[in-house]
Amino acid sequence: MWFSSVYLKTLRDFRIPILGWGLGLGFLMTAVFAAVPALLATPAARASIVALGPSFAWFADPIKIDTPGGYATWKYGLTVLVVALWPILAQSAMLRGEEERGTMDVLLSLPRGRFRVVIEKVAAMWSALVLMAVLVGLLAFAGARKSNVDISLVATIAYGLNLALISAVFGAIALLLAQFTSERRAAAGWTAGLLLVFVVLDMVHRVVPNTLWVSRLSPVYYFNLSKPLVPGYGFDAGAMVLLLGLSIVLSGIAVWLFVRRDIGGVFLTRRERPAVRPALPAGDWSLRSVYLRGLAMVAMPTVWWTLGIAGFAAWMVIVVKQTEAQLKSLLQGSALGGDILKAGGGDVATNTTILSLLFVFLPLMLMAFAVTQANRWAADEEDGRLEIVLSTPQSRLGVLLGRFAALTTATVTISVLTLATTSVASSITGIALDGGNLVAATLSMIPLGLLVAAIGYLLSGWLSAAVDTGLISFVLLIWFFISFLGPGLSWPDASLRLSAFYYYGAPLLHGVQPADLAVIVVAAAVALALGSYRFVRKDIAV
Amino acid sequence: MTAPIIEIDKLTKSYGGRRGIVDVSLQIREGEVFGFLGPNGAGKTTTIRILMALLRADRGAARVAGLDSWQKSVDIKRLIGYVPGEPSLDPNLTGGQLLEYFAHLRGGVDQSYLKQLIERLELDPGRKFRHYSTGNKRKVVLIQAFMHRPRVLILDEPTSGLDPLNQQEFDGMVREARDDGRTVFLSSHVLSEVEKTCTRVGIIRDGRLVRVGGVAELKDIKRYEITIHFAQPVPIETFAQLEGVAGVEELANGSAVRLAMQGSADAVIKAAARYPVVSLTSYEPSLEDVFLRFYESDGKAPQEVAGVV
Repeated sequence: MWFSSVYLKTLRDFRIPILGWGLGLGFLMTAVFAAVPALLATPAARASIVALGPSFAWFADPIKIDTPGGYATWKYGLTVLVVALWPILAQSAMLRGEEERGTMDVLLSLPRGRFRVVIEKVAAMWSALVLMAVLVGLLAFAGARKSNVDISLVATIAYGLNLALISAVFGAIALLLAQFTSERRAAAGWTAGLLLVFVVLDMVHRVVPNTLWVSRLSPVYYFNLSKPLVPGYGFDAGAMVLLLGLSIVLSGIAVWLFVRRDIGGVFLTRRERPAVRPALPAGDWSLRSVYLRGLAMVAMPTVWWTLGIAGFAAWMVIVVKQTEAQLKSLLQGSALGGDILKAGGGDVATNTTILSLLFVFLPLMLMAFAVTQANRWAADEEDGRLEIVLSTPQSRLGVLLGRFAALTTATVTISVLTLATTSVASSITGIALDGGNLVAATLSMIPLGLLVAAIGYLLSGWLSAAVDTGLISFVLLIWFFISFLGPGLSWPDASLRLSAFYYYGAPLLHGVQPADLAVIVVAAAVALALGSYRFVRKDIAV
Repeated sequence: MTAPIIEIDKLTKSYGGRRGIVDVSLQIREGEVFGFLGPNGAGKTTTIRILMALLRADRGAARVAGLDSWQKSVDIKRLIGYVPGEPSLDPNLTGGQLLEYFAHLRGGVDQSYLKQLIERLELDPGRKFRHYSTGNKRKVVLIQAFMHRPRVLILDEPTSGLDPLNQQEFDGMVREARDDGRTVFLSSHVLSEVEKTCTRVGIIRDGRLVRVGGVAELKDIKRYEITIHFAQPVPIETFAQLEGVAGVEELANGSAVRLAMQGSADAVIKAAARYPVVSLTSYEPSLEDVFLRFYESDGKAPQEVAGVV
């Protein structure tokens, strides 16, 4: 049955992401509903939460956050948009990925029109998103019931559907951009960058007065207009229709372009200019070794991720400056405020404390960068790109370490530039930060990035690039949510230690904790050693 | 007799439960051009990739110049030029950049010889790999295999995608390598290609090496078909006993015949000329067809060809 149409085959391909994302997000909702009764147990606790809300308005609108639905909506805020990453990856690969592999030629040699093929694929993606939304909704509803939280099934399903709609918009953007790029990776990268930009645009009106018009340019703004879990707030049908319309229009343009362009070609292609440089020897610095080649490969992604991570860090410093005075008065004496800030490892009432919370996002982003580069390594091996390199007198270990060293260089570069940007931003805004701790907060991200990369390299010894990437992304998310939710749920220290973020701690407040740092360094070294051991013994590209 | 430069001894490899190769043993002497023939999926690429230390054998040994292909892979790769069966390279680099990269990884190559190869195969090295046609991609891979004048060339279906002119050029490059005393080990499923360039062949089927011998002996298994359409039905027995005819099949109610031929067609042409001929077509079967015909499903060769090659 699953192979009887392009639609069903594509839907079958999505079965693991549907289950993975649907169950994952569903259980996260269940977890937060389980935590809520303890957090909102007393009037004083509820009052503290309400008082805290405006300070975190930059992150999410604090609406009725003393209710379970309001708290869950606020707590997950923008982080829930991580769900959009899957449609971005899937839809950038949907057509372009098949063209890169050459499978689109075969598919289009069948007696089916291009239009029908692409429509069936897009329909499969939308079906997958709806299924995922229903899973999220059902699990959230079940979790609410179990914790005696009064939220209707309609509300939880609507929450899931709103997530599906914003995901569909970013998937459609990826599909559209893939018509203009010759590689799926480029389309995915550009769309992920746009996601970040739109998130920041949405934040702007909550931080800077009279900038609502700026936020209205972002699809994320319309996503946030619907808060079905918040009692009495419901969902904004107009906003949801707008998101649906946007995804239909963007997908429609992508389909229109696809049916008109060359397979394997790009729309508005630039004519390749005759080589202006001497063909041989090219004299390119990046061609002298595996390490330098790896460095050249990672250079452009490093530039974009540096802009994202360092830019985000600087933006956070500015945001904190704007709310500094308000924070101090609100957090003083609030026990619950301190509890909320546990994820950042903070105590209370300083700009450093709130920045410390925000800085948890920086290693997360650096680790996401490491995931993309581990994926590239796995894909290069899987696609046979290492075959001729390994036919030269280079040892396998040398090739692996050369590429890992290039990734290490990129990771260090991003961290150092984040340090520089944050230092400049803090001195411009007048935010007083401990120089040593700032160095610790930015540079101690490096081992975390390398740990994720090393795990990715290790798993690629057995798994396909797609499964490898999916698995380490999942592990990363689990780590993040352990650190994000665990303190609020009063999880035991042993559970919190399962997350790599635990060992990152709160260096902006407390500086480097050598023992914790050593755990990450040793874990990364062990993963790299095991990954190397596996790589030098495994069958290549099998 | 020169010492073997490639020695394969009872090499066995499986992929989980799937068969790869089974007990393959082979010796190739220095200066030899050896053709490794077999249908798709027979085990040619598996054997080659074990030699290149890209796969690890389950059992047996493979040696190049007396060095174990797995234990001494880096030393061996100094001696080898390799063309993979399905080359995949960084699509964002130009052909020239790719060649320079591989030249650096090999510790440098003679630039004038490299340019000579580029001109010889008429490759435009200034274009990105992604923009090359299939044939041009194959040229890049061929050039990187030859550019350091390796002592051993291991080529997995090297002419796949090349046009006839470039195939001729490739044949010339292989002959020159042979004349220089270098060894060429090439796999193919194209019988005529192996006939042109090789001195000895090995035939692999279902993961087992079934024959090894001189290329001249190939003609004994090389059959072709002739189909003749007549204006009227003809007696089929007219052709059955003729010299060179290995089998006859009646078509179109007796007004056409399909003949399996081995050797000269002279007697068939003369016999056919006695009837009004509408058309005559000759067809050289693929190696797969040859295998299907000569090797029955149980893997045993019929008596007529056993021990020929």
